[in-house]
Amino acid sequence: MISISIENLVKKFGTNVALNGLTFRIEPGELFFLLGPSGCGKTTLLRNIAGFYIPEGGRILFDDDDVTHLPPHQRNTGMMFQSYALWPHMTVAQNVAFGLVERKVPKPEIGRRVGEALESVKMSAYAARKIAQLSGGQQQRVALARALVIRPRALLLDEPLSNLDAKLRLEMRTEIRRVCKEFGLTAIYVTHDQKEALSISDRMAILEGGRIAQIGDPQAVYRRPKSKIVADFIGETNFIEGKIIDASHGKARVDTPLGIFAGVISDLDWRPAAGEAATLSVRPECWRIELTRPPQNATSGRIGESIYLGEIAQYQFQPPAGPGLKIFELNPDLTRRPQDRELYAAADPDDVVVLRK
Amino acid sequence: MNSHPTQIALHPKRTPRRFPITGPHVVFTLTALFFFFFFALPIWETVNGAFRLPGGGFTFAYILEVFRNPIYLEGLWNSVLMAVFSTALTVLIALPLAFLTDRFLFPGKSLFSALILIPMILPPFVGAIGVKQILGQEGALNALLAALGLEDPAHPIDWLGASRLGGVVVMNALHLYPILYLNVVAALANVDPAMEEAAENLGCTGFRKFRKITLPLIMPGLFAGGTIVFIWAFTELGVPLMFDFQRVTSVQIFSGIKDIGGNPFPFALVAVMLVSTVLLYAISKLTFGRASHAMMAKATSQGGPRAIPPLRAWLCTAAFACITFVAVLPHLGVIVFAFSKDWYGTILPNAWTLDHFRAALGHDLTLPSIQNSLKYATLATLVDLVLGVAIAYVVVRTKIIGREILDAMAMLPLAVPGLVLAFGYVAMTQPGKMFGFMDPKIDPLLILVIAYSVRRLPYVVRSAAAGFQQTSVTLEEAAQNLGCPPFRSLRKITIPLIAANLTAGGLLAFSFAMLEVSDSLILAQKQQDFPITKAIYELYQLLGDGRFIASALGVWAMCFLGVTILGASLILGKKLGAIFRV
Repeated sequence: MISISIENLVKKFGTNVALNGLTFRIEPGELFFLLGPSGCGKTTLLRNIAGFYIPEGGRILFDDDDVTHLPPHQRNTGMMFQSYALWPHMTVAQNVAFGLVERKVPKPEIGRRVGEALESVKMSAYAARKIAQLSGGQQQRVALARALVIRPRALLLDEPLSNLDAKLRLEMRTEIRRVCKEFGLTAIYVTHDQKEALSISDRMAILEGGRIAQIGDPQAVYRRPKSKIVADFIGETNFIEGKIIDASHGKARVDTPLGIFAGVISDLDWRPAAGEAATLSVRPECWRIELTRPPQNATSGRIGESIYLGEIAQYQFQPPAGPGLKIFELNPDLTRRPQDRELYAAADPDDVVVLRK
Repeated sequence: MNSHPTQIALHPKRTPRRFPITGPHVVFTLTALFFFFFFALPIWETVNGAFRLPGGGFTFAYILEVFRNPIYLEGLWNSVLMAVFSTALTVLIALPLAFLTDRFLFPGKSLFSALILIPMILPPFVGAIGVKQILGQEGALNALLAALGLEDPAHPIDWLGASRLGGVVVMNALHLYPILYLNVVAALANVDPAMEEAAENLGCTGFRKFRKITLPLIMPGLFAGGTIVFIWAFTELGVPLMFDFQRVTSVQIFSGIKDIGGNPFPFALVAVMLVSTVLLYAISKLTFGRASHAMMAKATSQGGPRAIPPLRAWLCTAAFACITFVAVLPHLGVIVFAFSKDWYGTILPNAWTLDHFRAALGHDLTLPSIQNSLKYATLATLVDLVLGVAIAYVVVRTKIIGREILDAMAMLPLAVPGLVLAFGYVAMTQPGKMFGFMDPKIDPLLILVIAYSVRRLPYVVRSAAAGFQQTSVTLEEAAQNLGCPPFRSLRKITIPLIAANLTAGGLLAFSFAMLEVSDSLILAQKQQDFPITKAIYELYQLLGDGRFIASALGVWAMCFLGVTILGASLILGKKLGAIFRV
């Protein structure tokens, strides 16, 4: 179990800066997610940690060990590739044994450890198969076993589930978390799937344009996004432009075309002055629909388009002025929602996030 | 924001330990040096020789003399005609065949696909022996026509004498159409069927659709194959030599080499030939090759050949059978001739014998020549495999600056006439020059192996590069991640995975090295150093039963190469075409 420290990491491809001075630390035993839109630098960062790229500046430390310029084969990390990169000319068992053979582990021990590793991903029955004879999900398990069997210092996962169908993805992501915790591994998991990140990560970093936009645990990132970019990337949200009326102790009131809203300032470094421009972020599921006007944090309007999805309904809510709102209602009953009369949408101040414009 | 972009300077740049860079750089430098010395230098030597006065001064006189001398001018003109007509005839044969294969199912299709390279397993000049037996004035065809009463035996038609150029062109086309065929089949396989469907949907069908949609889309493949055929035909030496067609540049150069020490005209002719090749290539590139339409990713719908009514299917089979039969006629001629006691003015020989094979084995030219060819070709193939893998690796897997140049250089031997290179090798190994120690008059082993390997390198580079491209680099990265150093990852993971490509490329390099004509005729100058091709050529010129023995040796070589090429085409399948691309 090691910690991984990234210090001022800079990676350039020609004139294109892929990583722009990243600094953060991953704690021992943590399942840490790198998340972001495509091209944000998350895979580049992972490949720097694995040693396939050498950064132009900065350092990478495994505990206190500077590995920045160490070749990949000396880093002792176990990497799971997006394509799995299983070798088609070897059997399942040969694939898994490869890392141990390279480490000159004695033969009987190789046999034992390969058996154990296949056991732990429930693939013992397939040891003699060739890779081409496996399904996508089985290949994914073999790739995981191959990365784990060498007892790596850290497990690196590059979009490991992106080639699987939706149902298998759900199953495998809990499997990956189980294995990581069981082996007590420090793991870095790259994905663009926010559901994966929210469901199994200990902490996550959202990358944007080669910089870190935010680091935190799933709840913090989802409920308290520090910027519009993060709020927009993780989950769905409504942005409402406005001007600060007053702000103190991490709370603020904002004047918007929809009325005055009280909310929480998520970026503690930001101390806005009265009159400064701000943006509210309110998640669609945070709105309540009321028949009578609530005392505060509410706007009147009518329900326009609605999509019924069974457990929830999605409404397009149109206030008299300003932008339309997207509202999700759990356990909806459309028959109670007369289309032709005025309704009210209200949000709890704790669910309203006040962001820099 | 947690990032601090302004603090980069906190950790000053340490001495870089650039572990993956050194290996590829060494490979790059070594291969570049090899090309410089054994590709660029010989060309330079040749060109240089065309402009040097005996005293050392510079002159245009020799080049001008080439263009003033009507004999040289006629030779040049004949070479151009030979190339143009050979290419045109090749296209006429290969294009319809390729189209039929791509579109339709017909009886015997897989057999004919496997046989497609058969025409290439015989040096065309050996095939010329067979052709003369069949088409000559006293040949089998005239005997057949006379027997059928269609011709007066007293006045046989001189099929070959009527047009030596015609004979050479037909020989070339029958020998070279597989190259074009393979290229076009590969190109057709890449055409998205939806493109043609879209044209049909808009009312454009039949030949019009082929001309307006399909042909432009396969133009790059057609051009790539056509270029090789064109250059090959333009500089072909063996065929015109066997047809005794003296007025072509290649033969004039060959004849001029005997007095290489003093005579500057071979050099001048080679220089003119090189420049003409480049010019003709440029012109045809501008005319035909300009619009290379990049195909969008992958075909959206599965096309595949379709079944057609039996009658039409059998017509396709007949077309293939006809062409294949005509293409192997020279081979048949050579085989029959090798077994015949005497074959003169009859349809088939009057009597059969195995004596020629016995004589061939007994002749003091034969066995050494087989040994020599095996030795040269094996060594050349090994050199090619090492260089080919190295070059393909640098080109596909690294980002070294200049790798594109290396890639282009590795393909250039396809575009430079073998004669030009052979001549350059002679010039650069003259006693006293830097490579004087390789003088072929003393021992041609080194220079022949180098010559063979340079000319066959493109096949190996192409097939290795195709292998590297099809094999994801993450497979190697996964090995490195598990503790395997870079070079060993290449050896343990990628090389086994591309073994099929390397085998096929190696087999082709080997067979073409066995069949090499220009370098063999020019560089092997002592009898005990002759390779098979030169032995056949020398035997052919012997009086008495020389021709029979030459044919017997040819049959032996044919069997040998038939097996290797069949092996290559079985291993590579459709990808075989990709090897013959410039």
